[in-house]
Amino acid sequence: MLLEALIKIAILIGGLMTAAAYLVLVERWMAAWIQGRIGPNRVGVPLTRIRLFGLGQPIADGLKFILKEEYVPAHVDKWLYYLAPMAILTAALAAFAVIPFGSVLPPDVSFPGGEEPIQLVVAPGIDVGMLYVFALSSMAIYGVTLGGWASNNKYSFLGGLRSSAQLIAYEIPLGLGILGVVLMTGSLRLEEIIGAQAQSGLWFAFSQPLGLLVFSVAACAEAGRLPFDLPEAEQELVGGYHTEYAGMKLMMYLVGEFLHMITAAFLIVILFFGGWHLWGVTGSSNDVNWFQAIARILVLVTKILLVVLLFMLVRWSWPRFRFDQLMALAWKVMLPLGLVHLFTMAVLSEYAERWAGGAAPWVIVGVGWLVAVAACLVAGTLTAVSTGNQAIRE
Amino acid sequence: MNDTPASDAAVSAVEATAQTFDRGDVGWIAVAVVTGTLGLWLLLPPSGAKRRLSGMVLMIAALAVLGAARLIPVGDWGYDAMYAVLSGLTVVAAVSTVTFRNPVYCAIWFALTLLGIAGLFLIDGAQFLGVAIVVVYAGAILVMFLFVLMLANPSGRAAYDRLSWEPWIAAPVGVLLVAIVTLTYHQAFDTGDTAPLPSASTEALADGVLANQHVARLGNQLFGRYLVDVEVAGVLLLVALVAASAIVAAAPGEPNNSKRAARGERP
Amino acid sequence: MKQDDAHISWVEPPKLGLSGRMYLPLLAQGLTTTARHLFSQKVTTQFPEQRPEIGNPLIYRGVHRLNKDAGGRVKCVACFLCATACPAHCIDIIGTESPWDDREKYPESFTIDELRCIYCGMCEEACPVDAIELTSMFDLTGRSREEMIFDKEKLLSVYDQTKDAEPSRSQRAASEGATT
Repeated sequence: MLLEALIKIAILIGGLMTAAAYLVLVERWMAAWIQGRIGPNRVGVPLTRIRLFGLGQPIADGLKFILKEEYVPAHVDKWLYYLAPMAILTAALAAFAVIPFGSVLPPDVSFPGGEEPIQLVVAPGIDVGMLYVFALSSMAIYGVTLGGWASNNKYSFLGGLRSSAQLIAYEIPLGLGILGVVLMTGSLRLEEIIGAQAQSGLWFAFSQPLGLLVFSVAACAEAGRLPFDLPEAEQELVGGYHTEYAGMKLMMYLVGEFLHMITAAFLIVILFFGGWHLWGVTGSSNDVNWFQAIARILVLVTKILLVVLLFMLVRWSWPRFRFDQLMALAWKVMLPLGLVHLFTMAVLSEYAERWAGGAAPWVIVGVGWLVAVAACLVAGTLTAVSTGNQAIRE
Repeated sequence: MNDTPASDAAVSAVEATAQTFDRGDVGWIAVAVVTGTLGLWLLLPPSGAKRRLSGMVLMIAALAVLGAARLIPVGDWGYDAMYAVLSGLTVVAAVSTVTFRNPVYCAIWFALTLLGIAGLFLIDGAQFLGVAIVVVYAGAILVMFLFVLMLANPSGRAAYDRLSWEPWIAAPVGVLLVAIVTLTYHQAFDTGDTAPLPSASTEALADGVLANQHVARLGNQLFGRYLVDVEVAGVLLLVALVAASAIVAAAPGEPNNSKRAARGERP
Repeated sequence: MKQDDAHISWVEPPKLGLSGRMYLPLLAQGLTTTARHLFSQKVTTQFPEQRPEIGNPLIYRGVHRLNKDAGGRVKCVACFLCATACPAHCIDIIGTESPWDDREKYPESFTIDELRCIYCGMCEEACPVDAIELTSMFDLTGRSREEMIFDKEKLLSVYDQTKDAEPSRSQRAASEGATT
């Protein structure tokens, strides 16, 4: 039991760290390709001329971070300065305790403890799974805020302040976005949410487009990705809250940020795109053979990769929000949209079966899309986030 | 210093509380309370390095006495170890919250206290409470505190950061509270012999608290049996929210332009 | 300047249509633009395997060279016009009496600090005898500051390296005169 958990943790942390390192490379590739460049393609096998399309770049980056001078400015608040990056990385990694990275492995009696099917989640059976992820993502605020404050630098501090305001504001739409899913499945456990979508074959992205919109915008803001990267807006704040960090401590920040993006991608896939489920390939029950078990992991990873690629594409496509626009988007657009979504889903989950009987899923899909389009139209007509661009005359 | 009225009152209060326990207990509790009070008082600002050190030693002694005399093993060793670590962390963090001079540090210690409490909830199977306390208190309310504290005088040199109010009342009351909670805990589990108890962490958890439908049950209770309470709380919060917006909207002395700009109007 | 100054013309921002106010259509448009660029032709030059093409080497401003005349002698007459024109003060000439009859002075030493040089080409403009010229060599590297201070021999050797690809101004004039 303990051994099983330890193995899972080792696999997960190893996988996540590698994924974060290589996603940095992918992000640089994407940036280069979009800008008509080639991107990193030089670093391959060390001491040889083999280049491997630059796949050695993450190792070189890591080495560089490790070998950098461990520089601590004299004016910082030492304790919190050291604590902050640890807090952010710990919180980002601990969130994966309840996030499934596959479905189950079939029972295999050839090794001890293999009689039961193995759940591919570090801590199976945590009933508050989704809330636990929220709790840890809210703990990540501390890393950012304290790092900004402890650096004793105006730019860092402004970055920390912006970040805490932004994260608090977007936690509410984040919660509202998932509530529709939770209402429909009746559980906060991520495994059960995937299971419900696999059973019905109807991913929540199809029936709850408004929830998907609200959740992905909020998740993007929580991860601090462009167009929501105000806490580290280079043009205004040098490096934002990690201006004064270097070496491994900076790397902890950067990896933590990437892990937030990966968490967001995991959650979007699990909540709205059926997790490991793919029609006709993965099956839908918990009795799996080895082919299905592997296929489920691959399907999940592919979906997550696609979402991450979309995040990266977004980063190089859209300009950054101004801070008042950011807040207006959270409180005046996303919050009402989330409430409309919650209300719609509450009514549908209660009455769709009663009114439509067997056609209930289609009613839910139809009403869901109708409400989503209508709400977006109304939001666009009533509130334009981009107002206030005009110069103010005395 | 033991003859001060507050400390006497503390001892007599313990004696009153501990009537149901055997006399040996009361002695230990009294020792712990007196030591703890003294330690906490020494730790409270204004205090120099020497006072802090002696205060720390006294506090550790008091906690050790309380822990050694009062905490009996209730479950398996893993549970006991977790419990000891988490409760120790919680108390130490709580003491640090009130004794540190730098308000930002106080807030961080308070966050650690909340995390410790959340951990205690979790090992007792109250998953929802544990996580909710982190989301609501540590994740939202305390971050708001931090937000304000960071903008205020940050280094703890202001007069109000260097003084403590009524340390001679605050210190004994705080320590007494910990002692009474420990006593109650003891009373709940003391079956007379020293054998490990059939603990809350195995049977009760398996039976209901840790069951699959933990959150669903909680939701049923909240929105069934306690519906009125939930709605009253919700209405109160809504009223507070509306009032806050009203106060902000009517803030005097605000330049007209920024208000107009915020509404996106042209002058 | 007052805000109601008659000279200020206030420009109204364009009004957003409904699709602009709804954001999502415009955002999708932005995404398709970048997605198209993902697969576009790349413009990167893979230096050093792939050398960049320099448009016209004759007007490129790279490393300096000291030209030689037909007899293999340094063309420079140590007039100091280049050192005077140099805005970065990177040219250092020690002139002495010329051993030849056709000129009075010649540079005993001629050093250019290539790290101080800003490659403006003023020396080339100033030179009355076309002795100093900027070549199209641009990948100039060295392991120390001393190594990057070019003396007369090195500058002359640059001429030997580049004279075929980039004939000096007087050679060009001569060859043009020969052809026409």
